[in-house]
Amino acid sequence: MRTRYILRRLVAAAVTAFVAVTLNFLLFRAVPGTAVSNLSAVPDASPALRDALIREFGLDRPKWEQYVLYMRELAQGNLGISYDNRQPVAANLATALGNSLPMVALGVVFALILATVTAVLAAWKRRTVVDYASTGAAIVFSSFPTHWLALMLLIMFAGILPSSGTSDPFLINPSFWERTWDRLSHMALPSLTLALSLYGGLAVIFRSALLETLGEDYVLTAKAKGLSDWGVLRKHALRNAMLPTTTMIGLYLAFMVTGAILVETVFSWPGVGRVIFQAVLDRDYPMLQGAFLMLTLSVVVMNLVVDLLYFKLDPRIAA
Amino acid sequence: MTVLAVRDLNVWFDLPGGRAVHAVRGASFTVNEGERLGIVGESGCGKSTTALAILGLLPSSASVAGEVLLDGKNILGASEATMRRSRWREVAMVFQGSMNALNPVKTVGAQIVEPMMVHGTAQGHAARARAGELLEMVGIPAGTTARYPHELSGGMRQRVCLAMALACEPRVLLADEPTTALDVIVQAQVLQLLIDLSTQRQLALVLITHDLPVVAQVCHRAAVMYAGEMVERASTDALASDPRHPYTRMLWNTVPDLYGDHEVVSIPGSPPRLDTGSAGCPFFPRCDSGFDRCTRDNPVLLPVGDRHDASCHLNTDEGS
Amino acid sequence: MSIVLADPDAPVAAGTDRPGRTGKRIIWERPSAVLGAAILFLFMVVALAGPWLQPYPVPQQVGPVYGPPSARHLLGLDDVGGDVVSLLIRGSRVSLLIGFAAMAVAMVVGTSVGVASGYFGGRTDAVLMRLTDYFLVIPYLPLMIVIAAIWGPSLDHIILVIGLLQWRWTARIVRAQVKSIRERVYVRRALALGAGHGRTVVRHVLPQLGPLLVSIGILSVANAIFAETALAFLGLSDPTAISWGGMIHNAFQRAAISSGAWWAVVPPGVCVTLVIAGCYLLGQSIEESLNPRLRVAHLSGRRFRIRPTVGDHPVPPVESQ
Repeated sequence: MRTRYILRRLVAAAVTAFVAVTLNFLLFRAVPGTAVSNLSAVPDASPALRDALIREFGLDRPKWEQYVLYMRELAQGNLGISYDNRQPVAANLATALGNSLPMVALGVVFALILATVTAVLAAWKRRTVVDYASTGAAIVFSSFPTHWLALMLLIMFAGILPSSGTSDPFLINPSFWERTWDRLSHMALPSLTLALSLYGGLAVIFRSALLETLGEDYVLTAKAKGLSDWGVLRKHALRNAMLPTTTMIGLYLAFMVTGAILVETVFSWPGVGRVIFQAVLDRDYPMLQGAFLMLTLSVVVMNLVVDLLYFKLDPRIAA
Repeated sequence: MTVLAVRDLNVWFDLPGGRAVHAVRGASFTVNEGERLGIVGESGCGKSTTALAILGLLPSSASVAGEVLLDGKNILGASEATMRRSRWREVAMVFQGSMNALNPVKTVGAQIVEPMMVHGTAQGHAARARAGELLEMVGIPAGTTARYPHELSGGMRQRVCLAMALACEPRVLLADEPTTALDVIVQAQVLQLLIDLSTQRQLALVLITHDLPVVAQVCHRAAVMYAGEMVERASTDALASDPRHPYTRMLWNTVPDLYGDHEVVSIPGSPPRLDTGSAGCPFFPRCDSGFDRCTRDNPVLLPVGDRHDASCHLNTDEGS
Repeated sequence: MSIVLADPDAPVAAGTDRPGRTGKRIIWERPSAVLGAAILFLFMVVALAGPWLQPYPVPQQVGPVYGPPSARHLLGLDDVGGDVVSLLIRGSRVSLLIGFAAMAVAMVVGTSVGVASGYFGGRTDAVLMRLTDYFLVIPYLPLMIVIAAIWGPSLDHIILVIGLLQWRWTARIVRAQVKSIRERVYVRRALALGAGHGRTVVRHVLPQLGPLLVSIGILSVANAIFAETALAFLGLSDPTAISWGGMIHNAFQRAAISSGAWWAVVPPGVCVTLVIAGCYLLGQSIEESLNPRLRVAHLSGRRFRIRPTVGDHPVPPVESQ
């Protein structure tokens, strides 16, 4: 019964992914103006060049043929060639992802820690100064526009921490530690911005869930059994409060993407967000399409992971 | 051997706006080892609050006064650390609505083992084995330890809670409405179980319920509570044969007679508000034997027989 | 940034059937609601009274580029020498306008979809929700960027883009509430008596939705203002319109930070933050008053109190007789 639930979820995710891919395709084929109008805006572009480009990118075939071609290429991991630097989109994205992932991961982990601490303190000591202060801080931080928060941190830490790029290009023969430190110090501000931006909403949700849990009968029973306040929190409240929080995290993941784009722009971080932005400006459609696809699929995967996590935490599902 | 003695327990709850509800007004009773005491009353009369006060589980909006003597030592108002040591080990509780008293995401076994680990009475494998034994004792297969609460019926959950309460071999068991919402057969089984446990283990039982016949069946003695006060205290035999408070008498009358043709009777009116004080006996508005003194003086609990106390003016010279 | 309401699929509490009356009273008892409302009211007044409040015309140059704060210019001057205070006041009009307009779009679309889905249930529901699911999966800022970039920078486009991308979660929340309302006795009675769907929706369903819609709407405004700020920052909004987002964009593009002109960057962000926080406080309070949660807490920072005794009698609390 429980395996059936997992299977159903997997199938649903696969279907969503498929639809997302198709929508992706339609979105970028439906844009006004042909995709090559930008490229052919070179000074000496002749109609022959345009035609050659159109043929090369397969844009003269009927839409459904393009779709089939697209799907086939996709299955082979080919996302096309970027108009901008003539490299495979997949390769570009891989590099960008390699840059984004550590920074975003660090930010998210930090956000989770902050959110948990805030929520636990606020719920445990509710209606005290600790509650009001920590919840208030969470609300304020979640209200800051992400890019503006980034700028504020830039101003505050100007001179102390690097404010752009992933590493210092002028380091000569750095040792392992020097290089690591360099990388980390460049990652510090972007990750911190992301963390501060993300933690607020999560903290408020988690606090709400905890408050609800702390009013349940089994918490009173636990206390009656002789557990300390902290013991009750740890063994009963937190675990149960994670259930509704987990469902909300699914919605939340989309915000992570948003935040990342803004942060990468401010700090000139060459990650996926920046790639998307650049591709939009350059009308680099293959890049855009590839990046979008990657983002959409990762959201589908993240949602699936959240679903499965919830499933593992709550034995009442699919009973 | 008196194991638990409650003396003049008072509990107030804060209301927004600065007022307070006087929920328990001077409750006193004692329970000996192996003795079964019933606390009877309508919903909202303060019986559950009394039980929570004994365990020190009242919310921060509450304030208390009086004494709760466990083996002669007052634990009311003792530090949280001291209370924690006594909870479950000395005094355990089966809560009202055991359906929700169990954590839905943990197995039944884990929850029974938990207090044993917390108090160090058993560890690991031994604890788990003991959990199985406890379940068997309350009439559930030992293998149920691996199940989750939602997989069990209401009656089984109730029995799990009972088994869980006995995990650390307490000396006093507070059972708050342990059989409400159970069908009659299971109810009878649970009640018999309580009787057997208290007899075999010298367990002091405080049975809190609104059901007077159940108390008559199970308990040696009982205290009747009305609007936060104890209005009569006696052996259950005496309460049945010679009730000295109109409320007790009227409560007996409300028990439906399965074999007779009597109409179903109820006590008219409803219990008084507890957030304002008033002169006179709180039961007067619903009493069928009230007279003018009842409107002026609140009666106090006085002896009216052998270990039989009642608080009613009818028992004084004026009332006869 | 994240203004998220409660779980959109959670069953909504049965609550009172007349949330309007008791709800209003409860809201004004909460300090957070009052604070939020006060902030929003203040900004709306400023936005409406703008032209009369502005000390200087904008975007005219009235001093040196990035002039520091002074007695005449409390918040200094921006990258073209305009007075920041005046720019803020002027910008409030655009930012709030976009916020409310986008919210209107989102609410209309989202409510229609949500009501249709929740009310009719069955096939309609399944189809609409699948559709919403697919759209929810697409991360919204990238999509907004693409659409805004392609469509061209104009305020109308921005409003439509932001609004159209917010309908997704509005629809889900409305749907959950409509489902619960649909099952209520008086709705079923109306239908059994032969009331048409249109009439039932208008007379029975919508009024019940009222407070929830207000709450969602307010949070929508917050999201919209954030989105406008983000789009403006990325250069996708109308460059001729003066908005708080635009001010931040200009400051960033024209090296305000390296010039040390913090006054060109900080104030617009503070305004945005205040409005968003105000929306959140108010919207959340309304939502909480609709879904009253348990007020019991078995764990708390404080403990129950012992009353001192005088002689034999405990000292009772004041006013308890």
